[in-house]
Amino acid sequence: MGRTLASITQAFLDEETAFAKFRRALRRSDQLVLDDLFASARQHLAAAAYASHALPFETILLCMLLEEHKEVIRLRQFVEEIRGLQE
Amino acid sequence: MVYRNKLRGWLLDLYPDEDGLSIWLLGQDGKRHHLHQVFATRFYIAGPFVQLRLAWKWLSSQPEKPALAREERRDLFSGAIPVLSVELSQPLNLPRLFGRISKVFPDLIYYDADIQISLRHAARYGTYPLSDCEVEVDSQNRVQDIHVLSSPWDIELSHPPLNIITMEPEVDPFHAEPRKVWIQTAQARFSLDLEPERAFLVGLQAVLKRHDPDLILTSWGDIWLLPRILQMAKETRLNLPLNRDPDQPIKHREARTYHAYGQVIHRGQQIHLAGRWHIDINNAVMYHDYSLEGIWELARLTALPVQTVARVSPGTGISSMQIVTALKDGILVPWHKQQAEDRKSLLDLIRSDLGGLVFQPTIGMHKDVAEIDFVSMYPSIMANFNISPETIRPGRLDPDTGLPMTTGELGLIPRTLEPLLKKRIAIKEELVGMSKWDTRYKLYKAQSAAHKWLLVTCFGYLGYKNARFGKIEAHEAVTAYGREALLRAKETAEDMGFTVLHMYVDGMWVHKEGLKKSSDFDSLVYEIHERTKLPLALDGIYRWICFLPSRQNKKVPVANRYFGIFQSGEIKCRGIELRRHDTPAFLAELQQEILNILAQCPSDKHLQEYLDHTHTLAARCLDDLRNGRIPPEKLVIRQTLSRAVHEYKVPSAAAIAAKQLEQAGKFLRPGQIVRFIYTLGEPGVRAWDLLEQFNPKTINIPLYKILLNRMMQTIPCREIAMQHLHQIEVFRIPQMAQ
Repeated sequence: MGRTLASITQAFLDEETAFAKFRRALRRSDQLVLDDLFASARQHLAAAAYASHALPFETILLCMLLEEHKEVIRLRQFVEEIRGLQE
Repeated sequence: MVYRNKLRGWLLDLYPDEDGLSIWLLGQDGKRHHLHQVFATRFYIAGPFVQLRLAWKWLSSQPEKPALAREERRDLFSGAIPVLSVELSQPLNLPRLFGRISKVFPDLIYYDADIQISLRHAARYGTYPLSDCEVEVDSQNRVQDIHVLSSPWDIELSHPPLNIITMEPEVDPFHAEPRKVWIQTAQARFSLDLEPERAFLVGLQAVLKRHDPDLILTSWGDIWLLPRILQMAKETRLNLPLNRDPDQPIKHREARTYHAYGQVIHRGQQIHLAGRWHIDINNAVMYHDYSLEGIWELARLTALPVQTVARVSPGTGISSMQIVTALKDGILVPWHKQQAEDRKSLLDLIRSDLGGLVFQPTIGMHKDVAEIDFVSMYPSIMANFNISPETIRPGRLDPDTGLPMTTGELGLIPRTLEPLLKKRIAIKEELVGMSKWDTRYKLYKAQSAAHKWLLVTCFGYLGYKNARFGKIEAHEAVTAYGREALLRAKETAEDMGFTVLHMYVDGMWVHKEGLKKSSDFDSLVYEIHERTKLPLALDGIYRWICFLPSRQNKKVPVANRYFGIFQSGEIKCRGIELRRHDTPAFLAELQQEILNILAQCPSDKHLQEYLDHTHTLAARCLDDLRNGRIPPEKLVIRQTLSRAVHEYKVPSAAAIAAKQLEQAGKFLRPGQIVRFIYTLGEPGVRAWDLLEQFNPKTINIPLYKILLNRMMQTIPCREIAMQHLHQIEVFRIPQMAQ
């Protein structure tokens, strides 16, 4: 059974591969962070598929941003909790 | 006055013979009646007038002497069209004549040309295998009239008292040369030695004559036992009454290999008997899922002969049901599919070529999770929203919902599916709360499994390249409605304060603090039904469930890899080793044991203790492995050959084993299963089905150790378990920030 279009996972992997040269020129420590960003974006592949934009990378960037912001909120809350404890 | 006799009984089989149809009836009097019926069959031709004229001339000169007429008939897509009708009084002549004319006039369009005789009979008289019939016959057993008194949609069935004998060689003939055959009748179980051949055949002859079975149920009967017996009978010239109808030859169907859903599938050769049935349980598709009861049910619903339905995929079943609906409604059944995909822009293709919605679950262990599933989601969508190839209006979307629009009249597919869905739901309702010891429990379970498979394949058949009533836009419309329904379900759950942990095409996993009784979820189920208009049900509540990450990256979730324990103690798992066919038995057993232990863990406080226990178990298994206490057959790995042995560029373990078998004279084809054990040294693999004695000292223990360790990383997934059980808040945060 063939597919006319690549699946979202395939499109995602293609985009990731397209940045192979970019990744290669990064420091090892930065490479790992980049991998983390891509991994976090994978959590929203279903939404990206449903959105079906012609340029998937835009959606992938938004997925990364979403996970980053979640982390920011979590940390902010954590800081406030600690501050609450100190007061 | 013409003599007429009325017979009442169950229809066993019907097939064309030299002067019409042969019909076998298992009479209520206990006798097996061989009846004959005159049965004319027709096919239709459409095309340019000049071509049809030529075809008419050609046909009238043919020896079969068909009756020709010009008629108007209905095509599913283009409505009433003029056709040339070709009627043959002998059903056997139709395939012969059609085979020739389709070569002489390949450009004409043919309808109703290659339809199974049992489907034609079903459309005309309402018959189906095992139907309760009243037949009027004359003194020569010629059928004058048939009345069917039962319906395939009845829940209560009158089942005929079938005579069944089973026959199986004492070992798998592929593994070793069998020496005897076990035979089981209603009264006794005994064996017959295969040598000397004549004595074996005489013994078998006596069994067949004495018991006159309606069904011969065999193991390896298609590929080994019956071919072997037939060969012996030919050599010794002994008349063996394998067929009940002595005038019919025994029918052989060739083995074949094909691709389906990305897999290579092999179907062995088949041997069909006339007047009684032969079913090979190793060649019967999904026999292990739905047993004989499931096969009877499939035959009743699809009207395909029992011997055929036992061996075909459910996809053929659903397309047969569609054909019968079409014939009954006077709609032409095209020989070849004619509907190509409509033209659309790339952007439209990107928007419409999507499958079901598959989410990424929140990795880790979660407590008190409810699983809510839509019941037969895709078929329900087709029936509820009237999705059928001829009702869909390509490119037209509903302005309110953005979903594809359909025309008013109920389509062919919904008409076919509606009674099936009703029966499925009725049986499922009966099953709820029925004791496992109820006499009907097994029957209903088997029927339910058969219904499930028919319904599952019916969606695929809308998009399948060879489906006669397929249209890709209808296929896409179904998934569009499916995604919409699942998203509405998600929104409903979130509106009601639930956390959605995972969604998978037609199912959803939700959690809400403090809710753990099934009645707690009633309002959610009701509200989702209100918003989607589709049937759904609570599948169960998990004490806990663990969604596993990808093997490559622990942070990446995988949609279909999880295991969990229902409150009932039942374990459900997907995508882990236990469910894979190529996992050696000892690993599958160990994993099952581990899950059984975890299933008993009362609360997360005790988890550490239970995890330690599973590790002790794994350590013991490792010890058994090292000391040769695991029998070699439990180390056997089964893999499907994806191509012919010589086509492998880099030979896989399976290919090496298949090659060893080839050298020993056993040939495997793509789609067949090869069994092997990992051994030390070169080539590292040994086929399990070689005849020479296997030396257990050659087993590659270190490799099996690696496999075991790898499995232990899946389950119990200690770090994940400990890390996540208390962290449901992590994904609550975005909600709180709203």
